[in-house]
Amino acid sequence: MNKKIQLFLLLFFLVSSAMAQVELKGTVTDVANQEPIPGVSIKIVGTDRGTVTDLDGNYNLNIAENAILRFSFIGYKTQEVSVNGRTSINIQLEEDIEALEEVVVVGYGSIKKSDLTGSISSIKSDEMIKAPAADPMQSLQGKVAGLQVLNSSGQPGSESNVRLRGINTLNDNRVLYVVDGVIIEGGIGFLNSNDIESVEVLKDASSKAIYGTRGANGVILITTKTAKEGEGSISISSEYGLENIANKIGVMSGPEFANYINDVNPGTYNNIGVLPDTDWQDLVFQDWQPVQTYTISAKGATEKLSYYISGGYFGQEGIVPKSDFERFTFKLNTSYQVKPYLKLGTNLTGINLKATNPPGVVNTLIRAWPINAPYNSDGSFAEVQGSNPLAAIEYNNSSRNQIRALGNFYAEVNFLAGFEFRTSYQFDLNNDKNRSFTPEYFVAPLQQNEESNINVGFGESRNWIFENTLSYNKEFDRSTLNSVIGYTAQEINSEFVNGGRRNLIGIDPSLWYLNAGSEDLQTNSNGAATSALTSILFRTNYAYDGRYLATVTFRRDGSSRFGRNNRYANFPAVALGWNISNEDFYPSNFVVNQLKFRGSYGLNGNQNIPANDQFSRIGSGVNSVFGFDDALINGASFVGSPGNSDLRWETTAEYDLGIEFDVFESRLTGELDYYNRTTRDILVNLDLPGYAGAGAFVQKRFNAATVNNSGIEFALNWVDDIGEFTYGFGINGYTNKNEVQNLGEDIGASEQIIGGDLGNGQRVTYTEIGMPIGYFYGYKVAGIFQNSEQLNEFPKLSQQGIGDFIYEDVNGDGELNDQDKTFIGSWIPDFVYGFNFNIGYKGLNISADFAGQSGNSIYNGKQAIRFSTLNFEDRFIDRWTGEGTSNTDPRASLSGINYQPSDYFVEDASFLKLRTLTINYQIPQAFLDNIYLKSASVFFRGTNLFIWTDYSGYTPELGSGNSALGGVIDNGVYPTTRVLSAGLNVTF
Amino acid sequence: MKTYKIYSLIGFLTILSILGCKDEFLERSPQATLVAGNFPATGEEAVIATNGIYNTLRIWGIYSGGFPLIDIMTDEMVKGSNPGDGVQVLNFQDYTFTSDDGNIETWYRTLYLGIRRSYLVLEKVPEIEMDSQLQNRLLGEARFLRSFFYFSLVQAFGDVPLVESSEAPDGLERTNKEVIYQDIIFPDLLFAIDNLPEKSEYANEDAGRITRGAARAMLARIHLYRGEFSEAATYALEVINSQQYGLEDEFQMAFRVATEHGQESVFEIGAVAENSFALGGNQYANTQGVRGTPNWGWGFGRPSYPWMEKLDNDNDPRLDGSVIFLGDVIDGVSIQGDGTTPDTTYAEDGTTILEIETYNRKVYATGERNADRWGHNRRVIRYSDVLLMAAEALNETGNASQALNYLNEVRQRARGDDDQLLPDIATTDPNQLREIIYEERSRELAFEGLRYWDLIRTDRAEEVLSPLGFEAGKHELFPIPQSEINISEGKISQNPNWN
Repeated sequence: MNKKIQLFLLLFFLVSSAMAQVELKGTVTDVANQEPIPGVSIKIVGTDRGTVTDLDGNYNLNIAENAILRFSFIGYKTQEVSVNGRTSINIQLEEDIEALEEVVVVGYGSIKKSDLTGSISSIKSDEMIKAPAADPMQSLQGKVAGLQVLNSSGQPGSESNVRLRGINTLNDNRVLYVVDGVIIEGGIGFLNSNDIESVEVLKDASSKAIYGTRGANGVILITTKTAKEGEGSISISSEYGLENIANKIGVMSGPEFANYINDVNPGTYNNIGVLPDTDWQDLVFQDWQPVQTYTISAKGATEKLSYYISGGYFGQEGIVPKSDFERFTFKLNTSYQVKPYLKLGTNLTGINLKATNPPGVVNTLIRAWPINAPYNSDGSFAEVQGSNPLAAIEYNNSSRNQIRALGNFYAEVNFLAGFEFRTSYQFDLNNDKNRSFTPEYFVAPLQQNEESNINVGFGESRNWIFENTLSYNKEFDRSTLNSVIGYTAQEINSEFVNGGRRNLIGIDPSLWYLNAGSEDLQTNSNGAATSALTSILFRTNYAYDGRYLATVTFRRDGSSRFGRNNRYANFPAVALGWNISNEDFYPSNFVVNQLKFRGSYGLNGNQNIPANDQFSRIGSGVNSVFGFDDALINGASFVGSPGNSDLRWETTAEYDLGIEFDVFESRLTGELDYYNRTTRDILVNLDLPGYAGAGAFVQKRFNAATVNNSGIEFALNWVDDIGEFTYGFGINGYTNKNEVQNLGEDIGASEQIIGGDLGNGQRVTYTEIGMPIGYFYGYKVAGIFQNSEQLNEFPKLSQQGIGDFIYEDVNGDGELNDQDKTFIGSWIPDFVYGFNFNIGYKGLNISADFAGQSGNSIYNGKQAIRFSTLNFEDRFIDRWTGEGTSNTDPRASLSGINYQPSDYFVEDASFLKLRTLTINYQIPQAFLDNIYLKSASVFFRGTNLFIWTDYSGYTPELGSGNSALGGVIDNGVYPTTRVLSAGLNVTF
Repeated sequence: MKTYKIYSLIGFLTILSILGCKDEFLERSPQATLVAGNFPATGEEAVIATNGIYNTLRIWGIYSGGFPLIDIMTDEMVKGSNPGDGVQVLNFQDYTFTSDDGNIETWYRTLYLGIRRSYLVLEKVPEIEMDSQLQNRLLGEARFLRSFFYFSLVQAFGDVPLVESSEAPDGLERTNKEVIYQDIIFPDLLFAIDNLPEKSEYANEDAGRITRGAARAMLARIHLYRGEFSEAATYALEVINSQQYGLEDEFQMAFRVATEHGQESVFEIGAVAENSFALGGNQYANTQGVRGTPNWGWGFGRPSYPWMEKLDNDNDPRLDGSVIFLGDVIDGVSIQGDGTTPDTTYAEDGTTILEIETYNRKVYATGERNADRWGHNRRVIRYSDVLLMAAEALNETGNASQALNYLNEVRQRARGDDDQLLPDIATTDPNQLREIIYEERSRELAFEGLRYWDLIRTDRAEEVLSPLGFEAGKHELFPIPQSEINISEGKISQNPNWN
């Protein structure tokens, strides 16, 4: 009975309320341009009911006469309206200027761009040039003032060489990447660039100080996509491209090579016409190899729940056989507002990568003899002087498989007014597997493998960070305060296991495991590394009246990498800013609408120092051989150098003066900075006294050297439209002067550090005070000895004769010796730049991006290293063959005196390239409406289409390795490629 | 109430974080590596630490920086290899090397590494409670090796810094070499003689460990070098009379795999036939192995043409026992050599032969694999050297007739089956006999790192080597590595006439 009454009452209530309902219609438009706004959220206040506007901004809703509606849309001010019995309500929403103002992620927080005091470049995902490459950093080439991105290799999956504002240290110059707050060890080649929402490049000391002992080389913050309230869409993006070698290296043809040999040893080849003429580059490099990338993603958000989920695929075959690369990526970002004061969330990334490690043929194929044929008449591989590259490819079976998961789980608690406590656990788990099998084979005595062998390596790393921050963000009457204080702890662990066996029972891939090999002479190794950090961090940013800005930052890091006597490091920084255009006296009609001055000073650190060098170590495996059967017997003793328990981080002190402006009502925006950074306590390897017994080539590390980088950095952007015609132009760049100021002579270091080992006993770089790091050092070529008069006239080396280089007697003492070696070039560019333009008309857009640098050189090691008689590059064709024939290229010789370090091998590596040219067509909305698509576009793109450079190698985009001391020596790299691609992006 | 909960949560997390903030969290030892301090602590570890010293003997640089430099500096050997490879090694052939030379630095530093490793044993092993016989043996091995490294230093560089512990102090200067001889080298070797077993007393699996015989032979070699003939004779005769050693029947068999640790071997460095130092290989023979076809090595250290002519003139069978010629067939492998190295190098007149492409056969090890060369056990002291040392020392101390026995024992083996060759020496004129013994050493011991020191100690270096570039008053010693002088800021001085 009771239930019946309840049911009755319910029905009565529903009917009666239905009777009081009206059908409400209307359109929501933008107050500024009267355009309809689709997707506006309309809520009946006090209920969960509501709707959203359609594509034309229309809505309709059954509603009680007296209801109150709330209209909200991202970037607009929310409005509440009483229905009051009306059946039609048109609403005009006003843009929320405050909310629209760009927010910049700054590390452990974010801040309004106008309140920013530091030098930070922020790139949103739609501004990134999407390039058909695995590493998202390639999308930033030429886009960020102060950032040098080099696309150094065409190997599928290769990572870019990224440096910020010059070469900061003699050692590890890699920037720090932080992905959704997870501090990454290494690069970000694993990320799908389609998942990236924004990239922030922290450049000055104030911005980087919050990353303390890891900030000195620059910090790049990656924020992945999330959904905002009201959004809900599924997107598919795809790109399919074909790539080709960008340019071949000119080497001698068969007849040219045979002629050269005949010049050296007359009569070696009497009938050149019958010799084979093999172009190894044509034989090895494959044309039109596919590069493809696909991503499908979905995102959506309600008041409480937000999610972004995606799956991506990237695949590249590579122009060298057996160098393919495949990557699957998965992304899940969610957050849930559990309580009004509590939000839980997670950002997760997973990748699975499979790659074939390319055979090392690039270095050999440009040197293999062109007068050798690749195959014997029976079809087997022929002996080729310098090794047969096709055989090397055939017998190479080396692959890599990586699984990696990283991300975070976090909770945010809001309390009182303006306080937020955030705790997060971040992890990065990586598992790497390498496998390589070489069958038994015989091509030639110098190219054979006597026993089949298998090598398997497993490596894993497990890193975690536990981070707790308390932030306070409050807007007062005329001022804003943003503060954060926090504590973090981090552990980094890695371990590897490698094993090798020989004489496998077969060659089938199913047997490429250790157990299929013989236990005789099997090898194994296993090692691990661990390190830990604890940190306290603090930053406060104060803005008064939008005019005066100040930021104070501090981080204290304790790191296990530092010696016991120097475990904790402090990194303070301050920055000031002045929005002069917000002053009363600033003329409101002045052509420069906004103008800001800012300056900062602070300390940043670099903790990428070898973690174990603080200890004296006893190594196992210091084995000896005893017994009639020559058995390897276990031994252990001192290995490496005596420890240095004072070892500590490198510290960069940097000041930055900047100006930001906005002219012609935001049509022209720009920034200009002067930076000056001095890195002290740079680790140098000091030779110990030999009698210390560390052994040959073992040095002890000390904090001793100083390097200064300074320069001007600028970025300008022009955006405008003429009716339906839109266009834009942007240019950015930085100058750099690199100077070594101290090498630790005061603690016994030598005044020069010699580096750049060519592997043949020659070392071609020098590092010394007053010069850039690792500049090229050698003889200057003044010409060629044309005749015996000249041979007597100029100082020369003892083995030199007619047709050889005249090396310049630099010190003018009438003798030629090592003291005449001098500066012959620097690999550090003095200007790095990029520019881009785009024009659009209705749905059609054409954009072009250029990147370049100038003032840098490369030592062409592949020409200079002559271990035995191998093919020559084509510059040796027009050689000296008699008096007056050449004054630039010496007589034919296989090795020896003309291959001494000299500027003959130093080539200008300045370049400018058309990075991408893209034609994009946005399919008209009217058409899409019929097929239920929100948006769709097709594009055609050319990547690396043109490069203007004098450099003769595969690419001038070579950067230094993990030590800067060795300069840039080209010993042959996987050639870079030119890609033509087409793609389709669809959202529904 | 709600606020209270939030505060408790924050308080809890804060405490948690601060608890984590302990110094121990930042204490991270290297993994899979022992930090120096408590090793060796047991008898077993004492053996392992001693093995670690022997390891130094296989490091490439221990032998004059890796290349056979001290033989290349003699009239018996030239640089070899491809003209373009290892060009700096040429500086040793024509005496243009400087104190900056990397090979010299490598050599010097590797010797001190061995010394430091000896101290790990000498400092820790006496404190270990263990079988005292083994303990003394290990200390004997360590002391022999320390003296071996020090003698190499003193012989090559003269006065050198004397390091007396595993942690060398800063600021050492050179110590008079006589002090090093008297305080280190001689006491060490005498201790070794007293505490080490004879060769036959070692188990088979310990072959290659230092023996009493090796210590005696080393003492003989050092005394001979110092012109102390009576002591040299004493120790050489002790080796001979110990009945532990003899000559292989055939000269070239003294170097083969089959005779490793055989009767002629007094001090030998064991190696595994693997082209990896870690797996027990020794690159010494690979450096000198046949270059090209077969690919047995780099081909450095080529027998000199005059030396080969000399042996060829009287058909000394040791020529074929010491040299690999192109066209030889060894164990079924035809020696073709390096295609880009000239087979014959002529003087500027175009007819006088300067060099022919040949290789050092004394480092040949049986086997077709490249790695087999790495398995060559280098003989540091051979019994024939002991016999010739005895002969020389006896002749110098007025026992020429006794000397003849030992000299002729070597010649007899050398002549093989052909009685017409290398007749027995009968002269007892000490001056004549001296020259004959010198010549015998050149033929018997070529390319074994002895010739240069023989010429120095007998004052013949200027006469024999000055055509090559040798300067008396300078080249008797190698230069102290320039780096060592620079690091010491001049506290360590250079040898005479080097700069």
